[in-house]
Amino acid sequence: MDAMAHTDQISMPGSAPLTEANEVKIAARGVDVFYGKNHAIKNVDVDIEDKTVTAFIGPSGCGKSTFLRCLNRMNDTIDIARVEGDILLDGEDIYDKRVDPVQLRARVGMVFQKPNPFPKSIYDNVAYGPRIHGLTRNKAELDDIVEASLRRAALWDEAKDRLKESGTGMSGGQQQRLCIARAVATQPEVLLMDEPCSALDPIATAQIEELIDELRQNFCVVIVTHSMQQAARVSQKTAFFHLGEMVEYGDTEKIFNSPEDKRTESYITGRIG
Amino acid sequence: MNDKPHIASAFDRDLEAIQAKLMRMGGCVENAIRNSANALRSRDLELADQVREDDRKIDELEAEINEDCARLVALRQPVSSDLRLALSVMKIAGNLERVGDYAKNMAKRTNLLAQMMPVNGATGSLQRMANEVLAMLSDALDAYIRHDQPLAEKVRHRDLEVDQMYNAIFREFLTFMMEDPRNISACMHLHFIAKNIERMGDHVTSIAEQAIYLVSGEMPSEDRPKANATMDMADDAVIGD
Repeated sequence: MDAMAHTDQISMPGSAPLTEANEVKIAARGVDVFYGKNHAIKNVDVDIEDKTVTAFIGPSGCGKSTFLRCLNRMNDTIDIARVEGDILLDGEDIYDKRVDPVQLRARVGMVFQKPNPFPKSIYDNVAYGPRIHGLTRNKAELDDIVEASLRRAALWDEAKDRLKESGTGMSGGQQQRLCIARAVATQPEVLLMDEPCSALDPIATAQIEELIDELRQNFCVVIVTHSMQQAARVSQKTAFFHLGEMVEYGDTEKIFNSPEDKRTESYITGRIG
Repeated sequence: MNDKPHIASAFDRDLEAIQAKLMRMGGCVENAIRNSANALRSRDLELADQVREDDRKIDELEAEINEDCARLVALRQPVSSDLRLALSVMKIAGNLERVGDYAKNMAKRTNLLAQMMPVNGATGSLQRMANEVLAMLSDALDAYIRHDQPLAEKVRHRDLEVDQMYNAIFREFLTFMMEDPRNISACMHLHFIAKNIERMGDHVTSIAEQAIYLVSGEMPSEDRPKANATMDMADDAVIGD
């Protein structure tokens, strides 16, 4: 917020001031997704910037979650789903035959709508990723990763004395932060979040949003949200999806102040679109 | 601008009510300009008092509009064109309130001028200038409510004419004062009135700019024609005398 005081541009509360563009982390070119005969995503081109929060907004069924799930090949798990076009992570095609989807998902982490901790201890939840990917050599290193991840997820102070307790015994907001800690433990480069606050109360939501703003320092964050206020609060870039098309993509300030497309305007102002 | 209705119809009703109130306020301010100019020309002290009395209503409307807009922002969290509408209504209400104050000030000076010797021909030019500002205000409010950007642009450029009329009046009053120093007191008041009307024109221009902002999402750039040449004229008058 302090940085905002130095800029005389109209800023959305909570959003960072406009700075020079960050490097492109993910580039999508001509992406189409089909579920059987259903054409769910139509020819999407987008450059997603590193160290930036990008929000995908749009009505239910518009394709925003489908597109998000393309970014770490989650759609591979759906038999009838077919993805065409190119999605490049740091310039490399993630759908290339040589790319191992499991390795990819360590680089592109995901947080889901409902907090889904494993029925294991808080410690084991966070340690799970580093263990299966063999990221540590000994217990001390693993302890460090667990602590660092819980700190990143703003959960350390609440969890440090109950690391052996089950993750499922925490409150909803704590569980979601635990899932974020679990996602960041593999030291990913990108964090995908699919409506991460829709099951949380306003206080827990505010804590997650604060966390997202901090995560932006180190990660490329992409968030799907049904709350337009949330998109306005946490993101620097916003993409509006409608009927499988990406209608408009740009600076969040621009999208919420004066969008170019009539359909974007109708959606964000709550008109029948 | 988006002409589709909101899914929440109460939101539309709130927005319409705020704009209706703004237009009512605009009507009151138009009356204030008309009445104050007429009172000045015909030395009608009753009408001048009426203008001062009516100004209270204008102030009340401004306060109500500000409250309504604050409520709308708090409860509806408007974005995009809805947000611009709320912001521009507040700004315009502020402009209208200032124009109302200038009209009230004209009425006060009309009371004082009634006790002085009339300056021949002076009130006619002021009346013409007031008529021009009145027509501009009417067009600016029309442009706002109809989302008519071209009309708003025209209003914005017409302020040049008001500036030129003011310059001419300034020159005229200097001549009156030089011709007969007994005119000085009255001309000082008349000059303040001219300046007030010129300032009204600036506020009307600002209203037109808000109409442009509402429609386009962008404030027009500063490069509109201006013509305040009175600074040079004052020098000329001193040196030339």
